[in-house]
Amino acid sequence: MTLQIQNLGRHVGQQWIVRHLNLHVEDGECVALVGPSGCGKSSTLRLIAGLDPVSEGEIILNQKNISHVSAAQRAVGMVFQSYALLPHLSVFANLELGLRVRGVRPSDRQQRIQAMLELVQLQDRADVLPAQLSGGQRQRVALARALLRDPDVYLLDEPMSNLDAQLREELRPELRRLVLDRQKPVIHVTHDQHEAMAIADRIAVLHSGRIQQVATPTELYHLPETLFIAKFIGRPQINCLRPKDGVITAVRPESLFFAKEGLPCKLMSREWLGSSQLLYLESPEGSLRLSCSTSVDIPESLIVSWHRSDEHYFDEDSGRRL
Amino acid sequence: MNRRTLVGLLLLWSLGPLLWQVYTSFCSDQALIQPFVSHDQRWTLIHYQSVLNANPPFWRYLVNSLIVGISSTFLCLLLALPAAYALNRIPRQLSALSRLALVGAALFPYVLLFLALLELARALNLGNQLLALSLPYAALSQPLAILLLNNAFNDLPPELEDAAKLEGLSLFQRFRWIFIPLISPATASTAILVFLFSWNEYPIALTWISDSSKLTLPVAMARIAGSSIYSVPYGAYAAATVLGSIPLVLLVLIFQKPIVSGLTSGAVKG
Amino acid sequence: MIIFLLLPALLLLLVVFVVPLFRYAWLSFHADSVITGLIAIPNGGANWLRLLQDLRYWQDLGQTLRFAGVSVGLELILALCIALLLDQRWRGRDVVRTLALIPWALPTTVMALGWRWIFNTPYGPIDHFTKIAGIGSLNILGDPNFAWIATVWADVWKTTPFAALILLAGLQTIPADLYEALRLEGGNALICLRRITLPLLRPYILLALLFRLAQSFGVFDLIQVLTGGGPASTTESIALYAYWNALRFLDFGYSSTIIMASFVLISLICVIAWIGLQVLIPTHPKSRGVIEL
Repeated sequence: MTLQIQNLGRHVGQQWIVRHLNLHVEDGECVALVGPSGCGKSSTLRLIAGLDPVSEGEIILNQKNISHVSAAQRAVGMVFQSYALLPHLSVFANLELGLRVRGVRPSDRQQRIQAMLELVQLQDRADVLPAQLSGGQRQRVALARALLRDPDVYLLDEPMSNLDAQLREELRPELRRLVLDRQKPVIHVTHDQHEAMAIADRIAVLHSGRIQQVATPTELYHLPETLFIAKFIGRPQINCLRPKDGVITAVRPESLFFAKEGLPCKLMSREWLGSSQLLYLESPEGSLRLSCSTSVDIPESLIVSWHRSDEHYFDEDSGRRL
Repeated sequence: MNRRTLVGLLLLWSLGPLLWQVYTSFCSDQALIQPFVSHDQRWTLIHYQSVLNANPPFWRYLVNSLIVGISSTFLCLLLALPAAYALNRIPRQLSALSRLALVGAALFPYVLLFLALLELARALNLGNQLLALSLPYAALSQPLAILLLNNAFNDLPPELEDAAKLEGLSLFQRFRWIFIPLISPATASTAILVFLFSWNEYPIALTWISDSSKLTLPVAMARIAGSSIYSVPYGAYAAATVLGSIPLVLLVLIFQKPIVSGLTSGAVKG
Repeated sequence: MIIFLLLPALLLLLVVFVVPLFRYAWLSFHADSVITGLIAIPNGGANWLRLLQDLRYWQDLGQTLRFAGVSVGLELILALCIALLLDQRWRGRDVVRTLALIPWALPTTVMALGWRWIFNTPYGPIDHFTKIAGIGSLNILGDPNFAWIATVWADVWKTTPFAALILLAGLQTIPADLYEALRLEGGNALICLRRITLPLLRPYILLALLFRLAQSFGVFDLIQVLTGGGPASTTESIALYAYWNALRFLDFGYSSTIIMASFVLISLICVIAWIGLQVLIPTHPKSRGVIEL
């Protein structure tokens, strides 16, 4: 089963929210959709789920065109940022509702929900209302509901952004165990690039409704196709030198080092981050960020250099990689 | 002036006239005419007896009003619930315009519609039928009901319905499992406001109903006022006032929360 | 699909709100009375011409405006006081709020009958009071100078709770730190009222004002039962006059003309009141904390 998206687009009035979207997700593959807020990540997900109408292009799931099939018939499992659990129903009843309307026999329902609750380690919380659960537990109930649907594709819409940083890290392996091992296509929307890099096989970067690049996390980091991606992926942000002849040269902060010859700089401020430190420098080429290990001593005369092979070149007008 | 005095004044202002009616209803006619003279028989139940034994008896009007109130409320909610839901799912400008029109209709002094509605009743032969009154009542409370329920729908997170759609719930099932339970507080507020309106409505009931056994309470009260030929019939008036007020006083005491939230949620969001 | 959910409500609204307005507009250019055998016959602008020359109509219009203006004005002032009282925290506040709401919930005709007894001469409590106070019997409902005051009184009593509740809801949306900030700058209670409460309350005042103004312009139940329009038509309202024309004189054409004129007037009054309020109360401060003394 594979998910193929071809030239997908949706407009509201004159405004295109998403356009010319092409994406191919294999079974068992997780593709993360990242991009700044308002770039069309969630809209793309809603198009695939069938919650919004497709204006142009096709969504093909398992060789079947589902572009105009209703949401109920698409066999899509979706996890929402807000969990979307019904507040007046118990955990069990929340999970049961979908099975009930899909005509599963009561004894079957009981058994399947029980098994699912064990899988997400919530077997003792079946009769509790969602409000009495912690954020992480609610998240797992929402996940269990999507899993019970036994869908052909999983869509995760910022499933962890309402959780605190530590819990997010703890839940990542669980997400991998529960969803990614099901051998179905998974699309994971997030604004957190660390999460995307940690979970996804490939990352698609969206910018104003278009996909700019789809690549593995390493490719995206080392060979960003546009200046936007170079700036968006990698923290601290990439340094852009003064444009020359319509070409912008960019160097990652971690590629900079102190040397005998190079760019003379002035130290503006310094951030200590535990294992690494971040220096804000002022140079004739503009302000620079330099990231290095805390063990590195900062020399008196600040002269910064980098290897030619670490330079990225972008066209000043189009922002494309040269 | 301290707060205690102010609260006392407020209560005297609000409840004084009502308490005076209670006092009057228990006074004999003699005591009413000469309040400062001592009488052998100051207190009496005769006014209540005469009101309750009149033809038709007073409880008849209460029952009529109850029938009209319940049927109007039911009809109103039946129409307003789907409309309030649909109002969020039409193009945004159209929905904003509709809401504005509904606010206008809710402000409109409906009294002025009596003539056209009377013609309607004549044309459709709806006069002198209690249940037919619920048609104009449901319609007149429609603007407020749709606005209040629409606010409630707006407050629900949209993902709840999205998730339900993905689970395969039909529109009817979504109403059954999600909307009806989750907006029930707003529905209760709306229902009680519509009921109060229908119970209290006067000009339309006055023009639609003439059969004395089918009068609603407000019309019956006005008719008592207009027809009396006794010199001092106020004891009986007061008894009728008290009897006519009791159900509503109870209603306000029991349902004050949904009433207040219904009245104010319209204001806060409108 | 969506349209089927809207259709029933829309249809009912059209029949009850929109069709009547067209019907009135149409009827106002027709003679439709006992004389024509209750058949509508076009008569050009005769109804409207008659309206212009109808002294009783103009008298009623003046009385209705006086009634609406005075009672809505008193109501809003009183409602603001009650709302300010109920906005503070004290024991038993919720009970008092509920009890204060009772007048609003009672049917107008029921309490109008009650007021008739209270204003009764010579047996009502007001009459006793004026006699004891040495003013003598005033014959309130029988005296053109006092009867309209009695109608205003009864209306204010009945509708103030509604306005108070709306304003109370508005007061509860005003964050307390605004007052604290102004107090720190040395503002007293009056400055707080003028600089914070009234500006932030403006949308709620507007809502209560427009709603009450429109409703009291159409006052009918109260006057019909309390005074019947008397004495000598001095408390008669436009709605009551339209009602008499339709149901007593059976002149549907002229009654429609009165109603149509009222509709136009109400719309006008609401627009004027809306603009007036913008002028009267300054715009509320856009950002928190930026309030000049």
